[in-house]
Amino acid sequence: MLANFGYGAIVLAFFVSLYGVFAAIYGVRKNRAAWVESARTAMLLIFPLLTLSALSIVVLLVTGHYEVQYVYNVTSSAMPVYLKITALWGGQAGSLIFWSWTMSAFATAVTLRNWDRDREFLPWVIVVSLITLAFFLGLSIFVENPFERIWITPEGRQVVSMLPPAGSILATVRDGRGLNPLLRHPGMIIHPPMLYLGFVSFVIPYAFAIAALVTGRSDDRWIRLTRRWSLVAWLFLSLGLLLGSRWAYDVLGWGGYWAWDPVEIAAFMPWLTGTAFMHSVMIQEKRGLFKRWNMVLIILTYSLVMVGTFLTRSGVLSSVHAFAQSAIGPLFFVFIGLTLAGSLGLLLWRWNDLRSEGEMHSLLSREALFLLNNLLFMGILIVCFWGVFFPLISELFTGQKVTVGPPFYERATAPLFGGLLLLMGIAPLSAWGHSTVKTLGKAVWKPALGAVAALVAAYIFGVRLPAALIGFFAVALVIFVTLYEYIRGVSARRRRSGESYPVALMRLAARNRRRYGGYIIHLGVVLMALGIIGIELFQTETQGTLARGQSLELDGYTVRYDSLAIFDVQDGRNVARAEVTVFKDGRNLGTLAPRRDYYYDSGQPMTIPGVRSTMSEDLYVLLVDWQPVSEQGATFKVYHNPLINWLWVGGFVFIFGMLVAAWPDREPAPSVQRAKVRAGTQASRA
Amino acid sequence: MDQTVEAAAQQTSRRLPTWAMVLAFTLLVAFLGLVYFGLRNSMAGPLSIGQPAPKFTLQTFDGQVVDVRDLEGKIILVNFWASWCKPCEDEAAALEEAWRRYQADGDVVFLGVDYVDTESEARAYLEKFNITYPNGPDLKSSISDLYNISGVPETYIIGPDGTLKYAKKGPFLSINEIIMVVDGLRQGNTGAGS
Repeated sequence: MLANFGYGAIVLAFFVSLYGVFAAIYGVRKNRAAWVESARTAMLLIFPLLTLSALSIVVLLVTGHYEVQYVYNVTSSAMPVYLKITALWGGQAGSLIFWSWTMSAFATAVTLRNWDRDREFLPWVIVVSLITLAFFLGLSIFVENPFERIWITPEGRQVVSMLPPAGSILATVRDGRGLNPLLRHPGMIIHPPMLYLGFVSFVIPYAFAIAALVTGRSDDRWIRLTRRWSLVAWLFLSLGLLLGSRWAYDVLGWGGYWAWDPVEIAAFMPWLTGTAFMHSVMIQEKRGLFKRWNMVLIILTYSLVMVGTFLTRSGVLSSVHAFAQSAIGPLFFVFIGLTLAGSLGLLLWRWNDLRSEGEMHSLLSREALFLLNNLLFMGILIVCFWGVFFPLISELFTGQKVTVGPPFYERATAPLFGGLLLLMGIAPLSAWGHSTVKTLGKAVWKPALGAVAALVAAYIFGVRLPAALIGFFAVALVIFVTLYEYIRGVSARRRRSGESYPVALMRLAARNRRRYGGYIIHLGVVLMALGIIGIELFQTETQGTLARGQSLELDGYTVRYDSLAIFDVQDGRNVARAEVTVFKDGRNLGTLAPRRDYYYDSGQPMTIPGVRSTMSEDLYVLLVDWQPVSEQGATFKVYHNPLINWLWVGGFVFIFGMLVAAWPDREPAPSVQRAKVRAGTQASRA
Repeated sequence: MDQTVEAAAQQTSRRLPTWAMVLAFTLLVAFLGLVYFGLRNSMAGPLSIGQPAPKFTLQTFDGQVVDVRDLEGKIILVNFWASWCKPCEDEAAALEEAWRRYQADGDVVFLGVDYVDTESEARAYLEKFNITYPNGPDLKSSISDLYNISGVPETYIIGPDGTLKYAKKGPFLSINEIIMVVDGLRQGNTGAGS
């Protein structure tokens, strides 16, 4: 009953979407506002419909309706309720509904905004959003239906379908298969929704960009309207990637945080173009340049979101992340082909209208350095793209599937990331319009001096690796430049208004949130870079099989194997848990408990490390193997990961910076806003 | 006059040349073609007999690295198995017996690829059935992906010319079944896939 209800809600939402597309286009063509308004109402209707549908799945999951195939596939009675709820995105069919549901939430939020000033965009934003939604709903209805049930035919055959075959009865299924154990980690519970939120929220700026292309508005209005959307999308995507790294570090048991797996890269590619977009839109706003480029970037971002989702879910790329093979591939392929061709066609059609309003005058101006930043991001994108598609390219031409591994990505992207770090240090100090070596040098020398001091300090403390020294220099430069910018701003405010330091700091950031939020984001990025330099260049590891009481040594640490216990846990796991005591220079630092969980229902093991974390380093101990009978000997792998925790600290700073930058302003009255925008443009051009 | 010409020239120079449009769409079509190729492959079933067998390296449980490229000229039997797989147990003894029969001759190699497993249980399995030919874990399931396997056990036999000669889903029922195929290949007959 509930399954039919949930399915009915998706089908209804699908038809309402199609109607909305039709009504919006008809309204524009016949110039009838009532039809556009009706399309808008249609868009508003989809969110409640999909909420009902998603809730139906959740109720089925929680109440253990295992006769529903999806419920059977992703839950079991041993699972706690919160995991049953999050199983909504634990499999293909449910996660597609979740995708559509979040997409409809964003579409509703857009629809509810005040459209008085931008009426001409509305129908096209509706068309793009609803076509995307209708496509995903179509996948749910026709290919990956989460409400399909298991039926028993009169001949005793099992059939999975939405409607019962003639004469058949609903199967009685006692228990389900359970969620993939790798997905039972807190990081994994929020990692996919964050990624989906990032993915779907990029649909909104794309919809506005397409609306601008269709209507022929070549100004930067679409960018101003979607600035916050883009930031929010970027925030979620970044959060998704960060949580994914943390999950990998905690659960996958290889001592790393990023494996350059095709699916990781598939999520990283839209982040790269999105980040380039966040920077390059500023040039269009301030200087009227790069209009075409911004269109290219947002189209690329949307396309990469779609291509990434497609690659992950169709089984085209093999990966630890891949969903089970599914029949959604061909439909997805057609959709991607049509949207790519349509977007490209529109862009080329409007190419002439998107001329820049000015020119770049100086190679060291802020816009020139932003261009360089964009080129570096594109460089990394090309490396990623090539790496992901290389197996296909090699197979096409040689018949052999050759995959490229992390060394390829690391070597090819490291200099580009290094360049980005250096740019992050210099670009904030260059001026819009015109900068010379002299003016830039004058601004940068003080922070640079601080960075050189940091470099010397690193050398004195024994760092000799050139890559690490360059990295530390760049990190220090960005930190000093950022602090310098804050100090300059705060001092200027204090001179003008006599405010106290904390008040001046708060007001400075509040007055120009995007700029000062951006600086905090930069700080976050370099702190993350510090963690990455630490683990990439200084990670050490050892492995050994120990009898009880024996120890392994690594970088001054001693890890002593004390005991091993193997026991069953009520939630359907068999746990092998070792206890080791960690010493450093003879001092007892406490015990760690690396373990291996084996899930009976899915037959999958999971390795959970024992980690001793400090701000300067992690000691990461894995239980690799043990003697099942005697429990006397066990094999451990020990990693020493210097500075890794700065990656997570940097992540928090990064997110905080984004919140500062994206925090909504109070909406001023339209006329005042218009005046302000104009004044702002003039001021920035002055 | 000059100014107008210059303005017009500038206007034209800003227009996207036809070749650029053609290039843009060509790149798009090439990309879609590539993705289509990948999609078609991913939807295809297991490998077909006669096509070049995918090359891989296997890191064995005892730390050796076996690269099938180094084994060209030999007959290679690749068996996918797992310790949790009951049907695998049915053929384990037969495989080992067949291996001992060919081992001394040196022209036939057996490789066991352990699919989605725990190392300790896999080792216990190998010990239990006294398996001596090289066995190793399928790290990141990369080998099983290459062979597009649909489950375990599955067995593939690669001929001396590097092409796939035989594929079998499910367990061998007896040693004779294995010997028939391998001996057929040694005598130059291509075996039939099942």
